Amino acid sequence: MDQLKGFKLEPKQLRMYGIIGSVVGIYLTVGLNAMTGTKVFSFIGCIAALFAVLWGANSIRRICSYGLGTGVPAMGMLCTGMACVAAVFGLNIAGRFGFEIAGPIITLVYAMVFGYVVGTLCNKVMKFNIPIMEEGLMDGSGACTMAVLAWSVSLSGSLSYNEIIATVYNTGFLAVIFILGGMALFHPFNANLGPDEKQDRTLIDGMMVGGLAMFGLGICSIVTIGFAPAMLTIVVGFALWYYFFVWYFRLAKRDAAAVVGTGLLPPSAL
Amino acid sequence: MSLVFDTNMLIYMLEIVVGGLLVSVGVHFVPVGGAPAAMAQATGIGTGTVTLAAGSGLTGLLSAGLMMSVTDNIWPILATGAVGSMIMMDATMLTGDFIYSYAVGCPYASAKVNYDPITMFPQPPYVAPGTVGQGIPTVCFVSGTIGALLGGVGGAMIYYPCLQIGGNPAQAAIFAIGIFFVQAVIPSWNIQGTIEGFHDPKFKKWPLAFKASLVAGILLAIMTVLIQPLGVA
Repeated sequence: MDQLKGFKLEPKQLRMYGIIGSVVGIYLTVGLNAMTGTKVFSFIGCIAALFAVLWGANSIRRICSYGLGTGVPAMGMLCTGMACVAAVFGLNIAGRFGFEIAGPIITLVYAMVFGYVVGTLCNKVMKFNIPIMEEGLMDGSGACTMAVLAWSVSLSGSLSYNEIIATVYNTGFLAVIFILGGMALFHPFNANLGPDEKQDRTLIDGMMVGGLAMFGLGICSIVTIGFAPAMLTIVVGFALWYYFFVWYFRLAKRDAAAVVGTGLLPPSAL
Repeated sequence: MSLVFDTNMLIYMLEIVVGGLLVSVGVHFVPVGGAPAAMAQATGIGTGTVTLAAGSGLTGLLSAGLMMSVTDNIWPILATGAVGSMIMMDATMLTGDFIYSYAVGCPYASAKVNYDPITMFPQPPYVAPGTVGQGIPTVCFVSGTIGALLGGVGGAMIYYPCLQIGGNPAQAAIFAIGIFFVQAVIPSWNIQGTIEGFHDPKFKKWPLAFKASLVAGILLAIMTVLIQPLGVA
């Protein structure tokens, strides 16, 4: 068996990747869409969300390895629940001042402040005494919010508050984002936790679910941005899912004690 | 356009914060057993707090929303939310109890008290060795119903101002669910995932979650009331 090289990323590095990747991705989506006058580049929004997923999955991984007693999904749900409100908060405030382009920044800042405050409450009021609680929740809620916002942008193809409300909230597709996005963020650690949990395996699992979420949202976006741009999201999402699935499969094989073929997958897929 | 802050917004904020606090306290009443209860090794419903809170809260929201399509008066809306949520929680606990008695085959017993505070039945003889109780005894059932009442009223009280602000039911429902989740996770961290009801020693910790939910609720309420419909530019 070939030895697969893993990777190890510091939380600070991941925070940089998450913030820069998601913010730049959102602006790129909106900018390219506005420049070309089409919705073809909406799929970049989903790729921007993948950076946020990477960032968020790592923060959930760090906090939940302390053991909160409620299971991993609870933290994902807290962050995603808050993200549903925060994602449009920035757009609305920015829209009212006629400066729509600042929306994602306001959203990000408010979400991170919220996460930091809740983390402080957990440590100071509820006596959790988890040293990275503030930092981790700040990362988690910031990442969830950016992911929800990026997916919303890719569904609507624009950064306008009214358009996002009409295409994402009123159609109910936010429920899909809520669950698929929550899955992408909390499922990786939930599936990989244990004494031999490795950062690269967990994060690649997150990217895999992110690709799956992209595929699902591509199907949803047939209604909102039209068939051709939606097909692009579906195809890219499927390709990403397949790429990360194979990568994840190889990492799982690397970390397994023994691999016994059961004939489920053809040898060429391994 | 600019940010205007008036009395109505303060009332909406107050409703969102109080609704969140009701949810937060309500979670402490619900007998959550988590994974051990699913294996009949602990008292309570065999699933996590968030799942249960989501189930009862969403049912409460649905019934409150139904009433809201008929009337604007807040009292029937709160009552419907509470009843919907209570029905859901009671149905869950009753079905769970059927499974515990007829499928798993265990008596209902609480390991946290020696005598059931309501029926006064002794508990320790019925607790299987190596477990911390099984099933949902009377006191947990009553406690769960109270928890669902608080959760349902809280959920409806969050939904009401959200709809009044935006006038958009879809958006209001999603905001209410989001706020509901935050307010359900904070107390479930406080009880560390499992609780039996108001007779559990962990119940005494509720003021901590109350304080945390108060601050989180204010932050969420500020955000929610500031999101106002934009005219089509």
